[in-house]
Amino acid sequence: MRRAIALVIIVGAVLLVRDQGAGLRTAALAIGFALIAAALVGDLFEHLRLPRVSGYLIFGMVCGPYLADIISRSMARELQVVNGLAIALIAFMAGLEINFSRLKPRLVAIAQLGGATLLVLYVGLLAVFWSAWPWLPIAPEATGLARLALASVLTIVVASFSPTVTIAVLSDTRSRGPLSELTLAVVVLADLALILSFTFVMQLVHWSLGGAAAGEVGLVPRVMWEIVGSLAFGAAIGACFALYLRHVGRELTLVLLGLCVILSGLGPRLDFEPLLAALAAGLVVENIAGAGGEALSDAVERGARPVLVVFFAAAGASLHLDALAAIGGIALAVSGLRLALILGGTHLGARWARVAAEYGRLVWMGLVSQAGVTLGLTIIIASEYPTWGARIEVLLVALISIHELIGPVLFKWALARRGEIGKMDAQDEGMVGVSA
Amino acid sequence: MTPGELGRGDPLDRAVPRRRGPAGLGRLDFLLRTRGALGLTATAVPALFFVPLGIVLGPHVLDVLSLNTLAHLDAVVSVALATLGIFVGLALDLRSPRERRLFWAADVESLVTIGTVAGAMLVLLAMWQAPIDGPLVSVALALGIAASASSGGAAAADGNVFHRLASHIAELDDVVPIAATGFVIVAIQGSTVTDIIRFAAFTVLLGILIGVAGWLLFEQAHDVAEQGVFVVGAVVLLGGTTAYLSLSPLLAGMVAGMVWRNAPGRAGQILGDTLRTIQHPLIVLLLLASGASLEWSRLAIWLFAPFVLFRITGKLLGARVARRLAAPLEAADLGVYLLPPGVIGIAFALNVQQVASPITGSALLTAVTVGTLACELLALVELPRAEETA
Repeated sequence: MRRAIALVIIVGAVLLVRDQGAGLRTAALAIGFALIAAALVGDLFEHLRLPRVSGYLIFGMVCGPYLADIISRSMARELQVVNGLAIALIAFMAGLEINFSRLKPRLVAIAQLGGATLLVLYVGLLAVFWSAWPWLPIAPEATGLARLALASVLTIVVASFSPTVTIAVLSDTRSRGPLSELTLAVVVLADLALILSFTFVMQLVHWSLGGAAAGEVGLVPRVMWEIVGSLAFGAAIGACFALYLRHVGRELTLVLLGLCVILSGLGPRLDFEPLLAALAAGLVVENIAGAGGEALSDAVERGARPVLVVFFAAAGASLHLDALAAIGGIALAVSGLRLALILGGTHLGARWARVAAEYGRLVWMGLVSQAGVTLGLTIIIASEYPTWGARIEVLLVALISIHELIGPVLFKWALARRGEIGKMDAQDEGMVGVSA
Repeated sequence: MTPGELGRGDPLDRAVPRRRGPAGLGRLDFLLRTRGALGLTATAVPALFFVPLGIVLGPHVLDVLSLNTLAHLDAVVSVALATLGIFVGLALDLRSPRERRLFWAADVESLVTIGTVAGAMLVLLAMWQAPIDGPLVSVALALGIAASASSGGAAAADGNVFHRLASHIAELDDVVPIAATGFVIVAIQGSTVTDIIRFAAFTVLLGILIGVAGWLLFEQAHDVAEQGVFVVGAVVLLGGTTAYLSLSPLLAGMVAGMVWRNAPGRAGQILGDTLRTIQHPLIVLLLLASGASLEWSRLAIWLFAPFVLFRITGKLLGARVARRLAAPLEAADLGVYLLPPGVIGIAFALNVQQVASPITGSALLTAVTVGTLACELLALVELPRAEETA
């Protein structure tokens, strides 16, 4: 009851403030409102046995510019200032969750499952997009190699998963166990493959459309710089953090957030991929330096909660419901195809890798979500190719809207089914059930 | 006043034993006493270190804190201002007659300082016909408010009863200026009297509303992480609502702090504990932002020297009047203890710069910030002398 009254007061205060005039400085208002109100809605969702993350998203969507308009368009834009920080933090948390010594006996199985899933997705999507290209509202006039390149780039982004949502759901539900670890490992592996294949496919697009600029850095050095450079940069930052953890160990939450600001702010300036760099930093802290124990997990928990609340509320407020309405039919069809291919791919992969059936059957539910990474890639495409790239962006935004809403719910349901919710603090349990 | 000084001495100041040696060494020892919120042994006063650092990092030198970055920091500055206000509100305990007596003494002292500085500045600005593109009275009052805040944590740390009293008055003398910011921030934007009163009342209402909402939530949180979300959310909302309408985050924060201080339960304690983890970076950012935002105009240089002079005069006069309410302090001693301005003045000047016209806002920020540094340096010289004679 106290929470409901507080929510009413907060919403009333924000409406009252907005009623007084149109201010220009909206960032703190949007963040403060989203922090409290979205957290309360997330808590309500928790009571309804739904993921908090979905609560944050729905809050953003309902209060956002397309529905209640409590969060105006400019406020929604300002909310996105935390995006870089949130993505780095989430990737860092993903790194902390991947312990190679624990995963070592199952690495091959994970690679087989992930590889099969991606292969099925890539081949299936590419075949359908290639065949249906004249009817897709992107660039129906493209033929030959150009059509192949454009269909490939669409395939890569449509196939992508969301490490952000995966980690957010795991962190939010305090889940740990074979399914959590298997899903996370596959998503991280797929993300690496995504970055690699996206870079190659974009080069193919440049080449096929005849747009490669003279003097542009070659493909291999560029990919090497982006992948290896990101990993090295992240590893160095992770090593510094591990030293700090060992020798100072104070104000960990602030230092952790500062580290994520560095990874997300400095990384892109050096053409590094912040997600990869942050993942490497987390991996170094967990696997080489040794985890910081309870102090680090407390710091992560304290730092992550507000960042995740604002990040997902911002994502909800930015969901282009108009795009969903305009291209909804095609988006639903593509979404259905993607789900079917994920289901088929994980089924094949699980059989190939001999993953225990009770996990193999459910792992697809953790691969449905799409969020920040996918959106980031579509923004890159749209900025480089404003005509057909913008049309891809509209389709992808509609797809993200669908997958961002159903993905967390499905994943939480799967985790609950395997009894992994709330097990994060428990010590090592049996990992992925790979039969010999 | 700086947050580390609220209600108790800075832990580092307690950790650095007081030296009783030759005068020269005594002064060096004084440099180790932080008097500030930052807990850094090498920093005598945070403003003396971080404002110059801000200048170096700012757009005129290294451009690390570029104009674009400073624009992004605008929201952080509003939140930092609200945080400072909250700390002042949380520290305001008027339950005992002694506290109330000291509070009145501090009020009188700050009113005299505001009156002295604002009155003198008004005459001076009118005589100079300074190129100020805002209401002259509001600008003079803003300078008076920025001059009236004091910091006194170092004195509180040494155990001397006179010093503790002086320090406490220095802490309490921020209440009146912060209350006045609610009016002056609106007035300096050229608003009518009705609007000034309406928006000042609205600032108080916002403080109460967010204070009550926070009080309902803080103790209800399921875990520490959720508690952190609510606390940070309430503070950011205080900064955000006031920034959106160009009101005073300091006043809204102080009112909310008073709500949390006096509400039943542990709201004040929860808030204080959580905010203590973010206060240091917020203060550092605020000081860096002020240093990086300095603009060396002719108007700023004209305002600087009179600001320092009138502030010292105002503080000494204010201390003389306040002494009657806060015996057994000597007026001269009290005046010297009220010299260090702390960060409230700079914070308020940053708030003015956010809402006022660019020429006036920049000149006022530069004059107040450099004036604050000058007063801190003066205090570094004068305070040990006063301590030795105490």
